[in-house]
Amino acid sequence: MVELKRRSLDEVKELGSEEAVEIMRQAGVVGAGGGGFPTYFKYKAPQPHLIVNSTESEPGYWGDKLVHKEYLQEFLLVMEAMKEIFGFEQVSMGVHEKDREWFADYQKHADNDGVFDIRYVPNTYALGEEKTLIKHSTDKRVPRFLDTPDGSRRPGMPLDVGVIVNNTETLLNVYNALFLGKPLTTKFFTVYGEDVDTKVYEAPIGASVSEILGIAGVDVENSGHLSVTDGGPYLHDMAIEELGDGDAYVRRMTNSLFLLPRGRQGKEYASIETEPPEEGIVSLVGEVSGVNIPLGGGLLKPATPLVSEGEEVAYEQKIGEPVDEGFSIGVWASMEGEISSLQNDIVAISGGAVPQEEAEAEAEASMAGGAPPRGEAEPFQEAESAG
Amino acid sequence: MAYVITEACIGTKNTACVQVCPVDCIYDADDHFVINPAECIDCSMCMPECPVEAIYPGDEVPEDQQGYVTRAAEFDYSGVAPGVELN
Repeated sequence: MVELKRRSLDEVKELGSEEAVEIMRQAGVVGAGGGGFPTYFKYKAPQPHLIVNSTESEPGYWGDKLVHKEYLQEFLLVMEAMKEIFGFEQVSMGVHEKDREWFADYQKHADNDGVFDIRYVPNTYALGEEKTLIKHSTDKRVPRFLDTPDGSRRPGMPLDVGVIVNNTETLLNVYNALFLGKPLTTKFFTVYGEDVDTKVYEAPIGASVSEILGIAGVDVENSGHLSVTDGGPYLHDMAIEELGDGDAYVRRMTNSLFLLPRGRQGKEYASIETEPPEEGIVSLVGEVSGVNIPLGGGLLKPATPLVSEGEEVAYEQKIGEPVDEGFSIGVWASMEGEISSLQNDIVAISGGAVPQEEAEAEAEASMAGGAPPRGEAEPFQEAESAG
Repeated sequence: MAYVITEACIGTKNTACVQVCPVDCIYDADDHFVINPAECIDCSMCMPECPVEAIYPGDEVPEDQQGYVTRAAEFDYSGVAPGVELN
């Protein structure tokens, strides 16, 4: 069993690759760019080239760019460490041409120490897609499809051309795990769109979307004319069809809460332009009344719960142990409070900022309403159909 | 550089590509689907979805399939809605 603890650069560099992979798995790091693919698994087969995908692409997003501004030293450290641990021959950052100035501080450290370089790629919108990034930043092409040794055929992946791609925030979470011993409990995302000033939050995973929009200044109860998407104009899931009716939760791959008039198409806002919020990233850690944290979902097999209903948990306490079969990650409390429910592989923690009865009444109301709560896990959907 | 749907789509017309396209730039051109190069944002999401591997990046279309690049460029998109009729 690996330990999540503070480590110096030298100590991190001395980690074996298997040990580092296990730390990522236990810390619960998954692709924060939207894929949600378990990061540890990519590093089980180290490749020669690591590319950090810093091409935040959805119109209006600021999260990754602000993260890069705020955490320059952390990125430099983790890139240096990853090179040592996994034997990368090259570590690159993929950056849009239009963002050259924004990344000027990184450029000062690039090319001169043998650790990393910056690959500027065309501004063409590419959804941060890994294969497109590789095409634009290297002379390699990920094959469209290829035959595997077991006789099956599958779409090509970055590792087929010796590349691992990590999104900006994902790599910061790797830093947090390796250097600080800090597990994944928060998500950075942009709140923007209709009737709201642009904000970038670092919020607890599993926080209520309605509550966050309230914090952002949205009159949630009187905004039924708005819908909220989890994602931007192009790529998104519907989070709340009719604001004020039902709720949704911050997922491990939530990159934005985008408000738009009900019935409108996200892509109608493809040309939206936003300014970065003057206050920068605002942390909502400790500021929300409750969270619903999925133990699995998507590609992830649910972790085994380590807590039970009624139990008090501390912030960053481990609440789920990864299972050995399939993809599975450690799960950690994103706030302190009482486990108010544990069902359908979702751990609910109530923090007391909202009286428990009120929270329950709200939950019942949202279940009774048209739009059921939505989370990243299929168990939500199973629960709905079962109920 | 837009993606291009080629011959293998004919007789197949699986709609997986249409479902994943974030900008709804895939149109029904009768015997096959066609990607409007003016709307495609080069995201590549459709490519791995195609069960018959009909979709190529514009600059990787095989020689014998180049006609489909032209067909996509010259198709009249004005009279058709993107996607497929679901009924």
